Amino acid sequence: MNNLIAIFLGLAIINNFIVAKFLGLCPFFGVSKKLGNALSMGLAVILVMLIASVATWIINHYILIPFGVEYMDIIMYILVIAALVQMIELFIKRTNLILYNALGIYLPLITTNCAVLGITLINAGEGYTLLESSIAALGGGLGFTLILIIMSGIREKLEIADTPRVMRGLPVAMLIGMLLGLTFFGFGGIV
Amino acid sequence: MAVTIIILTAIALGLGVLIYVVNRVVPTRVKGIEKTEAIASLLPGMNCGACGHPGCFAFAQALAEKPELMAEGRCAVAIQDEARCRALEKALGITLDAAGMRKKALVHCNGNSEVTHDYSGVGTCKGAAQLLRGYKKCPYACLGLGDCVKVCPEGAISIKPGNGVAVVDPEKCTGCGLCVAECPQNLIGLVPAGTKVAFLCNYGPLRDIPGREKCDAGCIHCRKCFNACEYGAIEWNKERAVPEFDIEKCTLCLKCIEACPNHTLAGFAKAKVMAAAK
Repeated sequence: MNNLIAIFLGLAIINNFIVAKFLGLCPFFGVSKKLGNALSMGLAVILVMLIASVATWIINHYILIPFGVEYMDIIMYILVIAALVQMIELFIKRTNLILYNALGIYLPLITTNCAVLGITLINAGEGYTLLESSIAALGGGLGFTLILIIMSGIREKLEIADTPRVMRGLPVAMLIGMLLGLTFFGFGGIV
Repeated sequence: MAVTIIILTAIALGLGVLIYVVNRVVPTRVKGIEKTEAIASLLPGMNCGACGHPGCFAFAQALAEKPELMAEGRCAVAIQDEARCRALEKALGITLDAAGMRKKALVHCNGNSEVTHDYSGVGTCKGAAQLLRGYKKCPYACLGLGDCVKVCPEGAISIKPGNGVAVVDPEKCTGCGLCVAECPQNLIGLVPAGTKVAFLCNYGPLRDIPGREKCDAGCIHCRKCFNACEYGAIEWNKERAVPEFDIEKCTLCLKCIEACPNHTLAGFAKAKVMAAAK
């Protein structure tokens, strides 16, 4: 149990995907302008991370390791994740249009997002079990959503702040990202 | 090696078949989704978001409820394609005037900026712009060496003999946007075909440079046009300090054009309509 908590907190806060591992930086700057968009993106990432972790664990343990072709993990994971997300999207579109509209364009967009691919490679590298992989994916996804929400809150305030012209938009967002990274650096070494 | 290839091929094939099966098996529980999907299949499918919706499917959802939206010309990709427009007309039960909805290129410069020095280098705008940002007092002025004239497939652009500024003929322009990418001064923009008053100054990013010093025809932010409009069709953009025009509210009274002390404003496209209005 302690092990699971350590994995969850480790990926959610201490080794956060965005501010510590620098994965998924494109949505961090691209989709963090509005709180609503950030929330949708976060939800989609949590969902895809969970599904991808479970699917790639199965692929890893029943195909890659028995045949001794672990070096093919990246291409295999990309293939599997992309196909799975396509199916999930089809399913959600036909059964629950409200949920589909909430996730919007983000679901197909993050099929091969580096954070999603990152969690599967971390799971394989650390040799996690199926349960540990799912917990890691949940933690990673929640941590990602947390940062996106914090960032979107700050950026909504920044829009109305009197920023020097050269710093308007992305430059000041990069600085804020740096400060956010430093803040989360303080959690280092807890687990 | 062989094992690797076989495994990858087998998994790829398997997943392909699986997606096909899922597509066939999953029942449709949402009402009216067939119609939306039919509309979505006719849209370009690039999910560019230019229509203001997050993707083509979201736009199709909006279209299923309000087919008139298509006639506003929001989807710039679809209206470039005649066959796609005809198919959409059938699916939505409306008529589309594709040519009328297309955007038109507009050169945002009125000339009249003084020439500061003789230029005898490479005879293209790109070459001239590399050296001291051109040879006119205003660093954003049209150089008139005709890079856009060469690139236009319709022959819609010509250099005005008087002040040496490129002018687009709205009747010939199809709104393809090739000239927009070609202009090194970023002077050419795409405006809706229904635009009535054109703002002929590339003043957007130049808030700190007073128009008078650099150019006889530049915007000097006097707001005369804004005050002259009786119909509220002109809004003053405080951020960029330029007027913005509302096509819907404009009645073509032309008071703003008359009011402009520097002749930065000019009529656009519908010259005949304007003559009749006078």
